[in-house]
Amino acid sequence: MPQVKIIAKNFMDMVAALPALKLDKLYDNTFICEAVLRSLPPLAKKYVLQLLYIDEPVTAKSMEDWVLTDGVSKHRVAIDRLIQLRVFLEITDRKKETSYRLNPKFQGNLQHYIAHGGVLPRESMSSSITVRLPTAEELDSYALEQWESFLLQLISSSQPEKTTSFSSSMMKIFQQGLLSLRDKEAPKLTESGFQFLLMDTNAQLWYIIREYIINSEVRGVDSADLISFLLELSFHVTGQAYNASTLNEIQRSAINDLAELGLIKLQQGRKDNWFIPTKLATNLSVSLSDSSSRKQGFVVVETNFRLYAYSTSKLHCEILRLFARVEYQLPNLIVGAITKESLYTAFENGITSEQIISFLQQNAHPRVCDRAAPSVPENVTDQIRLWESDLNRVEVTPANFYDEFPSKDVFEGACDYARDNGGLLWEDSKRMRLVVKAEIHTLMRDYLHRQK
Amino acid sequence: MSVLKKSKKNNKRIIVWKLLSYCFFKYLREHLSVISGPVTVMDSAPSKQYSDDVSLVMVLLDTNPFFWGGENTTTKVSFSNFLNHVISFLNSVLLLNQLNQVVVIATGYNSCDYIFDSSTSESLNVSSGNGKMPALCSKMLQKLEEFVIRDEQLSKENSPSGIVSSLLSGSLSLALCYIQKVSRSGRLHPNPRILCLQGSPDGPEQYVAVMNAIFSAQRSMVPIDSCIVGVQHSAFLQQASYITGGVYLKPPQLDGLFQYLSTVFATDLHSRSFLQLPKPVGVDFRASCFCHKSTIDMGYICSVCLSIFCKQHKKCSTCGSVFGQANPEVKLPTDRKRKTIDLNAAYN
Repeated sequence: MPQVKIIAKNFMDMVAALPALKLDKLYDNTFICEAVLRSLPPLAKKYVLQLLYIDEPVTAKSMEDWVLTDGVSKHRVAIDRLIQLRVFLEITDRKKETSYRLNPKFQGNLQHYIAHGGVLPRESMSSSITVRLPTAEELDSYALEQWESFLLQLISSSQPEKTTSFSSSMMKIFQQGLLSLRDKEAPKLTESGFQFLLMDTNAQLWYIIREYIINSEVRGVDSADLISFLLELSFHVTGQAYNASTLNEIQRSAINDLAELGLIKLQQGRKDNWFIPTKLATNLSVSLSDSSSRKQGFVVVETNFRLYAYSTSKLHCEILRLFARVEYQLPNLIVGAITKESLYTAFENGITSEQIISFLQQNAHPRVCDRAAPSVPENVTDQIRLWESDLNRVEVTPANFYDEFPSKDVFEGACDYARDNGGLLWEDSKRMRLVVKAEIHTLMRDYLHRQK
Repeated sequence: MSVLKKSKKNNKRIIVWKLLSYCFFKYLREHLSVISGPVTVMDSAPSKQYSDDVSLVMVLLDTNPFFWGGENTTTKVSFSNFLNHVISFLNSVLLLNQLNQVVVIATGYNSCDYIFDSSTSESLNVSSGNGKMPALCSKMLQKLEEFVIRDEQLSKENSPSGIVSSLLSGSLSLALCYIQKVSRSGRLHPNPRILCLQGSPDGPEQYVAVMNAIFSAQRSMVPIDSCIVGVQHSAFLQQASYITGGVYLKPPQLDGLFQYLSTVFATDLHSRSFLQLPKPVGVDFRASCFCHKSTIDMGYICSVCLSIFCKQHKKCSTCGSVFGQANPEVKLPTDRKRKTIDLNAAYN
């Protein structure tokens, strides 16, 4: 099974990868400090808070005393992450003892936050200027609609329903890796494309945003500027209107693209333009592990392999079609069945059984979740796994074949040696032949040379 | 200790059992030296909670005027100074995670009330009016002032005499109710915990109510942290933290209160299993008697409903059982031990 995984970890990995100079510049912005702090592992957050009002460097040894023996590995992860993001600065003194202190800029910004509380990046507009703002539900459905139409366009560029502001070259960049674009051939989803569709919205969003930022340099935009704007955006209040004239040139060009993705909604008044962040935007700085943004599930799987999806979305239908046979579609219901054939096409396309099962489990209908029984019947999950393993009956192991041993003793010695090294695959003592894993071939050769 | 005759009112026994079982639990701990460890709260988190370190911190703020303003000058920190530390602490909790939620409950002398809730939209959206004070601060201080005035009006009728304790039982119950409301409403909710910032001494008359609150916190797996800013240790809160698996701390120096709060009490429940936190030095397990509400070392206990009395009575005032005369040779030690184990099992 080819294992193609799309890495869509999070924003902070990207921030951490920035050069030190740029990173230090980013920490001038309070919101970035805040977002970086919130992205840290719990233990690391705690350390930052603990050291916030300590101006002296603290030795690594004394910090180790803070944790119990169970937490040593977590402690290391936390410290590594803090150094990686340049939140902690490492100082080695003459006695070669390491000590850490907080990045002074970062420290200053957070101290200000602690004393003065959180402030919003910009003032929201008063309701007298803005006409009618969308309600929270309207905004959510708008965001979802935009995002889904973007996804639909992404996966089936042949049948565009709605043109987006993304230039076709930008769209091509997004599609890279997800679709195989060959001339004179209809674009086909690649394995990673399928996996992309099965990810949850936040992870998909990350993937797109990541591509968007990486390619920003090509468009002549500094990636650090874009990152700081996106992070800042996540601190705006959902559903409030913000005047677009407060934005600079780069940001103004970015908001059009972001509106396409459903991150913000643009509205126009008599005099001013304003933008309204949606839930997608405010969740940007949330780490992926948080399931807060998870949508309501919609799939019911029965023990007879039938599948009912209470959804009006075309995208859901497309996703289900990846691994199930859709039988009929009602206005708010998609009925299908998981069959051997439909699964085989899915496996051929590089989707794994685990991905399908986790998709079904994550999107299980709330009524199903509330029951004590597993959200997807066990016989179905087992069968999906069995059908997958049916395809993988033959396992290929690179190996070397040895024969024509001079004597029985040498042969048996070689067998024992191979067994001790955990590489013996097959032996035939009558004809003195032996198959050994390729990894220990050099060891075997050395051993046999020594025997001579 | 008198051994009391059992009455045969079984129905009543079942009813009062739940309510008063803790007395027996305590009684066993003290008199039969049965030591059972604190209940670990971290064992299994309900599935409807956020996986990570998202916390709901219920802060119970002691606003007892007799403690802060009275002759109690031994405390080194003034109320405004104390508030500065607490507000910084609230800010830091909100800073750690955008899903974190803070609720502040004022514990007054006569009443208690919610004074701040970070989840309500008004506390976040309203930008500060005068520009000098952050929104969180001004909103909360305004509510606090209103609360103190209301609290004062209530106390005009009866002037205090003896111990002037604050209404801890009331605010603990408010906090637990709030947590119940949160955990029953949404699909996902933060990990709740309670932090008591207590200065006033314990009120023995609240013993039953406080213990009930503690045990219901234990049931709903809510740890109660306590930070004592007063002079004396609080037996109530020592027990509360011990039973619910929270942290009890009496900072030796109050001018660095924020550092204590941020180092110890800002730790989310997830990280607590990895960090060195203050361990309880000793817990005062003494109970209050039901008849005179005074703290006692030794007392009489009703064998039917487990009510505690400081003097021998003819009849239990709680369940009405009639007691017989003391008979010192009725029970054998082995019998007692067996019963202990059974009760512990039944309790857990």
